[in-house]
Amino acid sequence: MKGRVLTSDVLLGIAPIALMIAVWQALISFGYAPATLLPPPGQVFMRLVRQLGNNEYQQDIAATLFRLFAGFAIAVVLGVGIGLAAAASPAVNAVVRPIVRVLAPLPKVALYPALLLLLGFGHESKITLVVADALFPILLSTYYGASMVEQKLIWSAMAAGTPPRQILFKVVLPAAMPSVLTGCRIGLVISCIVVFLAEMITSTDGLGHVLVTAARTFRAVDMFVPLITISLLGLILNGLLQWLRSYLLRGFPEV
Amino acid sequence: MIEISGVSQVFQTSGRQSHLALSNISLTIQDGAFVSILGPSGCGKSTLLYIVGGFVAPSQGTTRVKGKAITGPGPDRGPVFQEFALFPWKSVLGNVMYGPRQQGVSSAEAEAQSRQLIEMVGLKGFEHFYPKELSGGMKQRVALARTLAYHPAVLLMDEPFGALDAHTRTRLQNDLLNIWERDRKTVLFVTHSVEEAVFLSDKVVVMTRSPGRIKRIIDIDLPRPRRRAELLLDPHYQKYVVDIEGMIDDTSEDELHP
Ligand SMILES: Nc1ncnc2c1ncn2[C@@H]1O[C@H](COP(=O)(O)OP(=O)(O)O)[C@@H](O)[C@H]1O
Ligand SMILES: [Mg+2]
Repeated sequence: MKGRVLTSDVLLGIAPIALMIAVWQALISFGYAPATLLPPPGQVFMRLVRQLGNNEYQQDIAATLFRLFAGFAIAVVLGVGIGLAAAASPAVNAVVRPIVRVLAPLPKVALYPALLLLLGFGHESKITLVVADALFPILLSTYYGASMVEQKLIWSAMAAGTPPRQILFKVVLPAAMPSVLTGCRIGLVISCIVVFLAEMITSTDGLGHVLVTAARTFRAVDMFVPLITISLLGLILNGLLQWLRSYLLRGFPEV
Repeated sequence: MIEISGVSQVFQTSGRQSHLALSNISLTIQDGAFVSILGPSGCGKSTLLYIVGGFVAPSQGTTRVKGKAITGPGPDRGPVFQEFALFPWKSVLGNVMYGPRQQGVSSAEAEAQSRQLIEMVGLKGFEHFYPKELSGGMKQRVALARTLAYHPAVLLMDEPFGALDAHTRTRLQNDLLNIWERDRKTVLFVTHSVEEAVFLSDKVVVMTRSPGRIKRIIDIDLPRPRRRAELLLDPHYQKYVVDIEGMIDDTSEDELHP
């Protein structure tokens, strides 16, 4: 039963993608878009397969993945840490709240030129930008999740002998986990977008850089390859996170 | 012995007003006694229980357990809440093992004890279920086992069977009595069911409508061990129920808060 539901879900998920590719092909077949600007999907996928075996392209993927992971991981640690601390301590909350109010709506990409000057063209500036963008959704959802934890769960643990300073990690964090993971999921999608964007703006390697270079030399097919690569990476990472989520939340009612 | 003397509780409400929830409560509970607190909703029964639990500090008055002032929660007083408050991320076994592990009992020893308790509350075979996979009655059995697992001298039960259907409720009342007969813990039991209070208790404390005061304390002189089928036919039991219902009637808000 569960298996059948899963396959029908997968089919439903694939259908719109198949439709998109069909429309893409149709645009070319019926002459709405010149093949030099919009290459046919078959050609793009063939190039993608060839590129995936190419050592240089693999290094670009590795550079992007490294920045993505490093930025996302730092954002998770900072976001969960600060969010928990703010929920646990009114003093921390009083400091964090105004900072978050000011910084959260700021378009972080505006900081990128300054980051480049400060940190250079390598990994650091891009990782910092990813952290800046992915941090807030994780921080906010951790904070709200941790603030909503049922008082009686905490009391039950305290009566069982858990000292107050351990309540945060033994009760509040696990109880807030559904909310924390929702924040992480949003943070991951943002990380994918931002790392690509940063590489497009200024970089010497990475998938975003590959796209910009191809665009500058009018190689349309090579422009689509990194685009599809980052989508696939996002899909795989999201799948992994989803799997981790269903493992960690196995005891929670469906959310 | 639990000594509650001159306890009052004032809450600040949203409109900068203060609300007197409990007024000058004094009550002594002997070791091993089963005492029920009965009263209309909002009269401060839960608040009184939270104060004894050490979860809430009273605005006035003192509370002592075995001569020691209550300053916070402790494993000598185990709560059981109407909402169960099980840890959703832990299995039945994990929930029950939590207390002993916090008390420094080794993992193997805690597991052995917990399995025994789970069997005692009638949930053998459900050790690896998660709370969401259990019915309300089963959840409350787990919550009781989780609390019993760290051997509190006092059980603080806040309408523990209030969310259950009549049949499940009766079964849990019987099982609770059986467990209590065995180790005679002190039980402070909040309920708004008169039958439940009389059936279970040595003493019933009737409270007035808000602000909560103690209206009457009734000793329930019925033989133990109590059998439900016999008790329901016992005129003494019936008289207790009718009398106490009469005391509650003139202060009751139960029609407003079913
Ligand atoms: N934390 C709180 N803040 C403000 N008012 C409260 C709080 N807890 C309880 N009260 C009020 O105190 C009164 C007694 O509540 P409670 O002890 O829950 O009553 P009971 O359990 O008898 O129904 C109620 O009027 C309730 O609204
Ligand atoms: Mg109550």
